[in-house]
Order: sequence, then structure tokens, then C-alpha cells
Amino acid sequence: MAPTENDIAIVGFAQTAPDRRTNLTESDLVLRSIKKVMADVGIDKSEIGFTVSGSCDYLSGQGFSFVQNTDAYGMVPAINESHVEMDGAWAMYEAYVRLLQGDIDVAIAIGVGKNSNADPETLFTMEFDPYYLTPLGADTWSLAALQARALIDAGKATERDFAEVVARNRAAAKSNPYAQVSGDFSVDELLAADYVRNPLRKADLPPTTDQAAAVILARGKRAYDLCERPAWITGIDHRIEAHLPTMRPDITTSVSTRLAGQGAGVGSGPIEVAELHAPFSFQELILRESLGLDASTEVNPSGGALAAHAVMVAGLIRVGEAADQIIKNGRNRTLAHATSGPCLQQNFVCVLEGDR
Amino acid sequence: MAETKEFPFNLTFPFSRTLGATLSTFCSALAQGQIIGVRAGGRVIAPPLEYDPDTGAASGTDWVKVGPKGTVSSWTWVPKPTNLHPLDRPFAFAFITLDGADTAMIHAVDAGSESAMSVGMRVEAEFKPLADCVGRIDDIIAFTPATDPSPSVDAGQPFVAPDENDITEMDAYCDLTYVDNASPTTMMWAAALMAGRLIGQKCPQCARTVIGPRGMCSVCAIELDESHVIEVPGKGVVSNFTVVTPTPYPGQTETEPFARCSILLDDADAVIAQQEILDVGVNDIRVGMHVEIVWAPEGQRNVDDIDNRSRGSGGDAILGWRPTGEPDEPADRYLERMM
Repeated sequence: MAPTENDIAIVGFAQTAPDRRTNLTESDLVLRSIKKVMADVGIDKSEIGFTVSGSCDYLSGQGFSFVQNTDAYGMVPAINESHVEMDGAWAMYEAYVRLLQGDIDVAIAIGVGKNSNADPETLFTMEFDPYYLTPLGADTWSLAALQARALIDAGKATERDFAEVVARNRAAAKSNPYAQVSGDFSVDELLAADYVRNPLRKADLPPTTDQAAAVILARGKRAYDLCERPAWITGIDHRIEAHLPTMRPDITTSVSTRLAGQGAGVGSGPIEVAELHAPFSFQELILRESLGLDASTEVNPSGGALAAHAVMVAGLIRVGEAADQIIKNGRNRTLAHATSGPCLQQNFVCVLEGDR
Repeated sequence: MAETKEFPFNLTFPFSRTLGATLSTFCSALAQGQIIGVRAGGRVIAPPLEYDPDTGAASGTDWVKVGPKGTVSSWTWVPKPTNLHPLDRPFAFAFITLDGADTAMIHAVDAGSESAMSVGMRVEAEFKPLADCVGRIDDIIAFTPATDPSPSVDAGQPFVAPDENDITEMDAYCDLTYVDNASPTTMMWAAALMAGRLIGQKCPQCARTVIGPRGMCSVCAIELDESHVIEVPGKGVVSNFTVVTPTPYPGQTETEPFARCSILLDDADAVIAQQEILDVGVNDIRVGMHVEIVWAPEGQRNVDDIDNRSRGSGGDAILGWRPTGEPDEPADRYLERMM
């Protein structure tokens, strides 16, 4: 394909090892992910026109932690830099939009989260509606479990279906060197565990992970200088629903995912691989249905967010994994999804294509 | 994982949130033991929102009494409550559609046991004693299984809001516990301080020396480790300073103006920042002044507080820096120095 100036591709992806507990700082993690992706692509910082990261102060417990993280960029001389208090997938979205302006050719997007400093059961209460939810300590696990029960009650899935999602993702994760949780588990074994939040068991919940990841994007012909088979972004969209899950018409489906999928053009051709950001097992079922994916699409060959889940990073890793399917595995059309907020409130969908 | 040290800390800070017209009406009614919703887009939204979530249209002021009974449409069980949860014993979170409402609210159900919970069960709000109600969602302690499942008496009736609401703000607290751990660079820095050694990491590319726990050259974006450690002299020249006038805030222990100085170390392209100058008043500190480090005596050094955020802080190991009395260097030599 002869790219136009408005064609933008992912040309490189790297992640640090997902640790349950690292003794590195977020800045250390950022530096390691950046160095790795730059080495893979074969560029140095002087060639980066725009740098953007996604992280959250509440994770490490340090105000303006993202400012300290910029130490890892090497900002002499001064660079063009931005930050989103969102998963790195949204940082990547900003990098994409920035490249569309046409005055630079290469951008880097980073996600970083040292999640192990705090307890996920209490920490994410600060993410929610400060009037109606936070004073109750309404936690992310409980809200997910309320959505899971609604799914069961609607007759759309069973706890066994949830366990099957877990078993499949963990088995797939065995071949992912960047999986924190992997292995062969029988569905019956998984179902024998106690509930953490009925109807969810520990295996249905996302692991706690410390990690950083980075992708390099390039515009037009520049992509071919950096990558033999760039992963062209042919569709990208982000949709949001009401924050309070009970104010959405139906939480057993994801309207925002469906609309983002339509906006990104998911249905205009077959999707060979989809990397879905489902922090909770059952959410993969909702996402598959909302994106209209059938059995011909391989979902989460990496093991997905159940294999490693650094908040602020796991969505960007979906983008990187879907891109690598094209860059390294010769696939033609893949999908990346990222989510944010309670019960799949916000959803980002990106379609990637290789040259045929 | 290499040797590390853990640093537990609490993030506790108060918020006082203004409520706006819709929430102040809801909270003022709640403090009187009344739950209300608002009619918007042909349905009753409870708890009320300022905007119809479907259309974005302003919800207006067509208030409706809802509850105190309602019906559970989804539930989960919290077997081990945290300090942030409303109850200290196992309880349920539930979607509860209050009588008179078309949307559900999320709240706790104090059901005693998990087996008491079911979709479709009738529950009833249990308020704190009215004297203790402050107009916040947790004025409802929890919902409890309704002894009488019949519909709530007033539900669906109009609610007449007062001309002015009693409650226009809400106190809320962030109370989170963290445990950070020391990075390898932080561990190295703390050990050197204990030994009365000042160390830095010299960048192999730009030859600048980074003082204090960083583990990287932030100019070149290069990882620095033990192999880059050099000992730097405890002597230098004040290259910049600021005088801080303390303002009272929780945790502030300073009462008098104090100075924080950057010191360019002798024979090294290295600055140690945020240092205290001893023996002279803040008005007598000058850029260009020669100073030397004053260590706490061995046995009295304490680096317990040196964490990843310390950034060159000497903990209680460095007492400060005192003027040597040598003639000053010309101040303009330091004008262009950033780091």
C-alpha cells in the first residue's frame, strides 16, 4: 500500500515484565519500556516528535507523579509532551490525533502503573461518583459483581461461562512471556473457589500488576523506514456512557463498545485477532457480543487482562499485542479494545491492518 | 527482587464539595429522612442527577418522593468489609429500585447472611437517627429486608423543596493506605548517608552527576546503576536559593522563614538541591558562598524517612551545610545553571 500522509501506523511495541510487586519506581518502569521500544524500532529520542503518557497519581500515592515520570524522557532540549490521566491506550489515541496534524512523523505513547502500592479494593473507590458512591466505599469489585449478576439474571451467561473465560485466557497466557498469571486450570477447579464478590471469584478478578508499556507510532512513508510491516490504524473511536451503572439502559450489554466498534469500522471486514480489555472475566462475554465477534475471531491470544492487569497499562498492551499480530505474526486485520470506568463505562476500539 | 525496604503511608485529606441545586435538594431532604428523585425524560431518576443521562437535558425541579422501600435488581456479597465500607460486618451491595423510581440506586443491604439475598427481594432504608444525619448518602446506614413488602406509602408523590436548601456542601474524606518500597537507587543512597558518604551517579553520556535517588540521567534518558556511582565532595558553592515563608497548613512544623539552597559541588558537575544552610540567617545567604557539609555524628544518623520521593534529601544524616568563610565566587557564574 502507498500510504497517504494521513495514514498512521504502530511500528513498535514493548512492555516491561509484569510484576506483582516491583521495587522499581514508575519513572524506572517508564525508562525501561521506552528504551526497549526505541531499541526495537531503531531510533533514539531525537527522532520522537511527540511524547504522551497515561498514568494516575492515586496508584503510586504521589501527587504529580507523572511529572517525575518525565525524567525518563530526557527532556534536554525541551520536548513536546503531554499526559492523560487514563490508560495508555488513550495516550496512544492522543498521539494518533497529534500525528494527524501533519507536522511531525513519529510519536511515542506510554502507559505506566505501579499498582502494588495500594489495595485495589479501596483505591478505586476514589475513581467513582463522589456523592453517591465514594461515601459508601463502593468498590470496583462490587460494581463489577453487580454487573455480572445482571448478566446471569438476564440468562446471557452462567458462572461456568465466566470460569471458561478464565481457563481459556490463562491457558493462552502460557505462550505469552509477559503473562503474570497463566497455566492450565479446569473449569470445575475454578468454580470450587470461594466468592470474593458473589458471583465473582478471585480468578474472575484482574490481577494486581506493576508494569509499563510503550508504542511508537509513525505517519505516512516514515512508517516503512521503521518497520517492515507497519500496523496501520484504519479505524479508531472512543465512546462513553453514564458513569453510574444504574443510569445506563442495560448493563448486560455495552452500547459504548458497540458504537465505538461501528465508528472504527469493525464490521467492514473479518477480524482475525481481537485483544479485548476485560478486567473481569465476564466482561469479555459482553465485549464479544457488543463488537459482534463470532467464532472466526481469535480473542486474547495473549491471555488478555486476566494474565496481567496494571491499571493505566493493560489497555495499551491490548493495542500493542494487536499491532504485533500484524507486525510480527503476519495477520492482516486485528482489533484492540481498552476500557475505563466502572462496569465498562468508557470504551476505545481501534482496528489495525497490515499491507496485503 | 533485590533488597528493599517498605514505606507505609496514609493519604488522608478532606474535601468539602459544593452540591449544586440538584444534589443540595436531595441531600437536604435526606437529612430530614426523605429520599427523593427527579422527573426527567418521562421517568423518575433516583438518586437525582442534574442532567438526564440519556439526553443531557437539564433535569429541572420536578421532585418526587421515592422509597423508603424498594426492590433489589442485582446484588453482590462483601464477606470482608474494608474501612471504607458502610458496615463492619458482611453485607451486600445492591441495585435498589426505590418505590416510585424508574432507575436504581446503589447502596448496602444489611441482610445478615448471603443466603437472605435475592433478586426481587423487598428492602427498606434504615436511616441514622435524624439528629445524626448530615445530608450525605450514608445517612442511610443500609437497607434491610422489608418486614412488610407492601408499597411505600408516599412513593411517587410530589416533593416540595424549600426555597432555600439547608445543605449546600458535603464533607468527604480521602483515606487511603499505601506501602511503597525503596528502589535499588534509594537503598544505595540511604546506605551511603549512614556511612557519611555523599554519592552521585555519573552519566556516561553527558558526564553530569545526578545526586540523590534517581537511577537515571534525566537529560539523556539513560539508566544509571551501581556501576555509575561516584563519591562526590561534601564541599561546594551555593548556586541558588529561595526563602520560604511558612503558611499554616496541617502538618506544617516550620514557623519562621527558612531557606532551601542548591549547592554546586566542587570538582563535580553535580548539584544537590533543597539543602539547609547552618550558622547564618536567611538574609545572609548569598549565591557564590562556599559551604561544606555537616554530618550528624555517627550513631545519630537516621535515614528511615529516605524514600523514593526524597530526591537528594539527607534525612537526619545531613544536618546542613555551613559557610567555610572562603571568599565568595562571582554570583553571575551561576546565572545560567539549571542543574
